[in-house]
Amino acid sequence: MQDEIARLRQEAEHDVVVAETAGALEEVRRIYLGRRGRLAVLFDRLPQLPESERRAAGQALNEVRAQIEERFRRRAAVVAGRDRSAQLEQERLDVTLPGWHRHLGRRHILSRTVEEVQEIFIRMGFDLVDGSEVETDECNFEHLNIPRDHPARDTMDTFYISDELLLRTHTTVVDARIMRERRPPMRVLAAGRCYRRDVVDATHMPVFHQVDGFMVGEGITFADLKGVLLAFARQMFGQEARLRFEPDYFPFTEPSAQVAVWFNDTWLELGGCGMFHPRVLEMAGIDPERYTAFAFGGFGDRVVMARYGIPDIRLFWENDLRLLRQF
Amino acid sequence: MRVPLSWLREFVPVPEDPAALIDRLAMLGFGHEPVEWVGEEAVLDLEVASNRPDLLSVLGVAREVAAAWEREVTPPVFTLRRSTSRAGAAAAVAVEDPDGCPRYTAHVITGVRVGTSPDWMVRRLEASGIRSINNVVDVTNYVMLEQGQPLHAFDLDRLAGARIVVRRARPGERVVTLDGVDRALDPEMLVIADAERAVAVAGVMGGADTEIGASTSRVLLEAAAFHGPQARRTARRLGLRTESSARFERSLDPRGVLDAAHRAAALIAEVAGGQTLAGAIDVYPHPAPPTVITLRLPRIARVLGLEVPEDAVAAILRRLGCRVTRRGRRLTVTVPAGRVDLQREEDLIEEVARHHGYDRIPEAMPVEAIQAGRAAPVLEAEAFGRDVLIRGGLDEAVTLSLISPDILDRLGVAADDTARRLVQLQNPLLADHTHLRSMILPGLLDAVRVNLSHRVEPVHLFEIGRVFHAAAGGVRPEVEERRALGIAMHGRLARGWNLPAEASDVTFFHLKGLLEELTAELRVGISVEAAAVPWLHPGRSARLLADGAEIGMFGELHPAAAERFDLTGRVHVAEINLEALLRRATLARRFEPLPRYPSVDRDLAVFVPAEMPQAEVRRVIRQAGGPLLEMVDLFDVYTGPQAPAGQCSLAYALQFRAPDRTLTAEEADAALSRIHDALRSTLGATPRA
Repeated sequence: MQDEIARLRQEAEHDVVVAETAGALEEVRRIYLGRRGRLAVLFDRLPQLPESERRAAGQALNEVRAQIEERFRRRAAVVAGRDRSAQLEQERLDVTLPGWHRHLGRRHILSRTVEEVQEIFIRMGFDLVDGSEVETDECNFEHLNIPRDHPARDTMDTFYISDELLLRTHTTVVDARIMRERRPPMRVLAAGRCYRRDVVDATHMPVFHQVDGFMVGEGITFADLKGVLLAFARQMFGQEARLRFEPDYFPFTEPSAQVAVWFNDTWLELGGCGMFHPRVLEMAGIDPERYTAFAFGGFGDRVVMARYGIPDIRLFWENDLRLLRQF
Repeated sequence: MRVPLSWLREFVPVPEDPAALIDRLAMLGFGHEPVEWVGEEAVLDLEVASNRPDLLSVLGVAREVAAAWEREVTPPVFTLRRSTSRAGAAAAVAVEDPDGCPRYTAHVITGVRVGTSPDWMVRRLEASGIRSINNVVDVTNYVMLEQGQPLHAFDLDRLAGARIVVRRARPGERVVTLDGVDRALDPEMLVIADAERAVAVAGVMGGADTEIGASTSRVLLEAAAFHGPQARRTARRLGLRTESSARFERSLDPRGVLDAAHRAAALIAEVAGGQTLAGAIDVYPHPAPPTVITLRLPRIARVLGLEVPEDAVAAILRRLGCRVTRRGRRLTVTVPAGRVDLQREEDLIEEVARHHGYDRIPEAMPVEAIQAGRAAPVLEAEAFGRDVLIRGGLDEAVTLSLISPDILDRLGVAADDTARRLVQLQNPLLADHTHLRSMILPGLLDAVRVNLSHRVEPVHLFEIGRVFHAAAGGVRPEVEERRALGIAMHGRLARGWNLPAEASDVTFFHLKGLLEELTAELRVGISVEAAAVPWLHPGRSARLLADGAEIGMFGELHPAAAERFDLTGRVHVAEINLEALLRRATLARRFEPLPRYPSVDRDLAVFVPAEMPQAEVRRVIRQAGGPLLEMVDLFDVYTGPQAPAGQCSLAYALQFRAPDRTLTAEEADAALSRIHDALRSTLGATPRA
C-alpha cells in the first residue's frame, strides 16, 4: 500500500506539472482527486488493510491528498495566469487606431463671450436684468433724451413695427426702464440683441449684440466709470490692457466718450460711455443733484471679433460648425 | 466734415505735422481718419457729433483748434459795398410759419455776371467734396463750408411777384428740385414759395425754376434759420439729405445768419460782380437771447472725479468763445453764437473735460455699499437650460430674428397656426427680412443645410432666442415676445470607424430622451402625446405638455419639409416654448437621503394590444405598484411572430424598496401580482410566460 501511495504521489505530481491548460488540469484533478479518482480508490481499500497498517496508510493517504491538492492549486494558478495572458494577448488592440467620438456640444462663440462679459460685471456687483427686444419709441428714445426728429436718431436707423413700437436699437433702453423701477444706489447690466437698419457688410448686421451697464449712486464720477471699465478690460483682455477714452456724443450722456482698448497692437472700439445726462435721471425720477450715474454700452459682437480675430461679423450668423468648433 | 488744411490755416495757425494735429483732434472727439490728399491739398476728414452744427464749418473747426493750441482765430476779412437803393424795394419776404423758420434774411444783388468761379474756389470746393456749378452758386457753397450757414441764391427775376413766402406746402403741391426730380410735397413740409408756387424745399434743396443760370442778373440771396426737427422731418419725408439739411437739422443758431449772408454777398460781388442793395431784408420776430449758464465749480469734480483748477476751467471756456464772470465758486458763462449744444451745466463740464483731456481723469473704483451682483432668475434658468443642452451634445447656433414669411411655407406651417401671426416691420431694409420670426426652427434648418453643403456632419444644433407673435385682436399691433428653444439634429450621435450606423443615428427617442433630460434637470414634470403637426412625420410627431398645457412640438421632420429645405436624410426637430418651461423650472437643489435598505428587483412582461400607448401601461403599473415601487424601467418592446396577433410585448424591470426596512420578497411579489391584476382588469393585458 505504501508503495502504491508513493507511486500515486509521484505520478500525480508529474501529471499536474505537465498539465498545460485549465482543461487538462481539470482532467488530472478528476483522475486523482475525483469522487472515483485513484486516491478515492485507495481510501476505499483502507478498511481491508490489517489493523496494524491501516492507521499509517490512512495518515499517508491524507498527507498525499493534501500534497496533491496543494500542487494542484499552485499549478492551477500558473495555468490560469497563462490562460489569461493568452486571452489578453488575443484581445490586443492597435492603440493607434483613431478613437470613437461622442459629439460634445459647444456654446456659440458669440453668446459665450457675451456671457463672459456679463460674468465680469456681475463679479463687480452688477445685477443682470432681462429686457425685451420689442420696445416702445418712448423708452428707446424719448426717455433717453432723444426726441422725435432728433438728428441722433440718424445714427440709430430704426425698424418700426407701429408708430409706437420698434425693435430696440440699443440695450440702453433697459437702463431707462430699470431706473424707473428701482431706487439708487444700483448697478445694473443688460445684454441682448439690438436692431438697426444697417446695410450688411463685414462690420454691420441689422441684428447685433450689446451689453449695457450703468451705476447710480451718490458720488459716482467719470473716474469711477474709467476704473470699472479698466477693471473689466483687464479681466477680458489681460492685465496689460490699456483703455482710451475720447469725446463722443450721445444725447443720454454728458460728458460722453468712446472707449477703446489696446489689443493685438491696435485700438479696438469697445463702445460708448459717459455720465447719464441729468435729463435722463430726471425723467426716471432720480434727483440729479443728489445722484450721479455712469453708463456704458456696446461691448458685443465687435469685442468677440477683436478678441478672436474674426474678420467678418456675418460669420457669426452662418453657424458653420467648422468655425464654431474652433473655439 | 472735410476740411482742407490750407483753408483752416487761413484762420488759425495749425501745427505743421498733420499726424500730431490728428492725434490732438482725436482727443477732442474728431476721430482718427488720416489726412487725405486731393492733388496738392491736404484734407482733414473729421467726425462731427450731431449736436455740433458749428463744426460743420472751417471756422468752427478753427475755433476748436485755437482753443486746443491756445491760439487766436482770425476771421475772414471782407468789405461789403452796398448801393443806395434798398433791397426792400426790390423784393419782399413773408414768413407764415415762424416756428419752422425763426429767421429769414434776403439780400438782393443786382448786375451779376454768372460764369465760372476762380480756380482757388473750385479747388477748395472740390477738396471738400462739392462740385463747382457757377460763380454765384459756388459762393453760397463756399460760405456754407466756411461759416456753417447754408445759403441759397434765387434768380430774382423768376420769383413771381418778387416775393418770398415761407410756409407749409399745400396739399398736392409739387416742385422740381435742382436735381431735376419732380417732388410731391405735403403740409408737413416747409417750403419757400414766391407769390404763386413753391420754389424751394426749405433748408433742403432749391427749385429748378428759379435757379441761377447764365442769364441771371438779379440774385436774391437767402440766409435763414430753420427749425431743426422741422428741417429733418421735411428732408426725411422727401428721402433727400443734402449738405444744407444736414446742417439745418442740427438746429443752427439764428444769430449767425446775417454774418454769413454779408460774407456771401461780398464774395459774390468779388467773383461775379454786381451790387448789393442796401438794407437786407431780415424777418426775425423773436431774436434769440444769448444762453447764459451758471457753472458751479464743485460740480465739476462731482461729475468728473477730478479737480480741475479753477483758472484752467475759466481759461478753457474763454478760449471756446464764452464770456465768463466769476462769483465765489460759481461761474456765469455766456455761450457764444453757434454753440447750440451748450445749454446746461453738464454741457460746460463736458467742454472742460474735453479740453482738459479725458486722459487726465484718473481711474477710481466706486466705493459704495457693495453687494454681489446676480442674474435675474429667468436668465439664470435660461443659462442653466442652455448648459443642459450643451452637456447633451448639441451645438449652440445663433440665427437672425428677421425673416420672410415664406420660410413658414417651406416648413409647411398650417394656415391657422399661431406661428402665422407674424409681426411685420413697417420699414424693412431687405426683402427677405420683412417680419420677426415666430419660430426658431426654420432658421436652424437653414443652418443645418449650410453645414451639410460644406459636408460637415453630423449637425446637432439648438438655439435659444426670442420669438414674436402679433397678439390677436386690438387695433394696435400688440406684440407677444417670448423665449423659445429650437432643436435640429441630423446624422450620427457618435462617429468612429466600424461603428454601425443603425446604432448611432439619431432617432426620435434620442431627441425625446434629450427633452426628458432637459425637463428633468429643470424639475418640470412633463407628458408626451401623439400629435398631428403638418411639418412633422405623421407617425413620429409629438406634443410636449407640462401641467396639461402644450409647451412644444417635436418629432421627425416631415420628408416633404426636409426637401423644401434641401435636406436629405432624417432630421429630428423640436420647437419648444421655453418661456413656459422656464416659468415652471426649479433650480434650487436639496439633499435627498440615499436609500439605506436594499431593493427587491422583479421583471414584468406583458402582452398588450399593439395600439396601446406605452404611457398608459406605465401609468397603471405606477398606480398599482404604490409607494414601494421605486423604479419602472422599460427594457424591451417586441412585436413579431412570438407575440399573439395584434399584441405587443412590453418588458419592464421593476425595483421595489421600503425607505425604513429591508423589503421582503413576499411583499415585492404581492405588489407585482397587484400590478398584474390591474393591468389585466384595466388594460386587458396578459402576462407573458
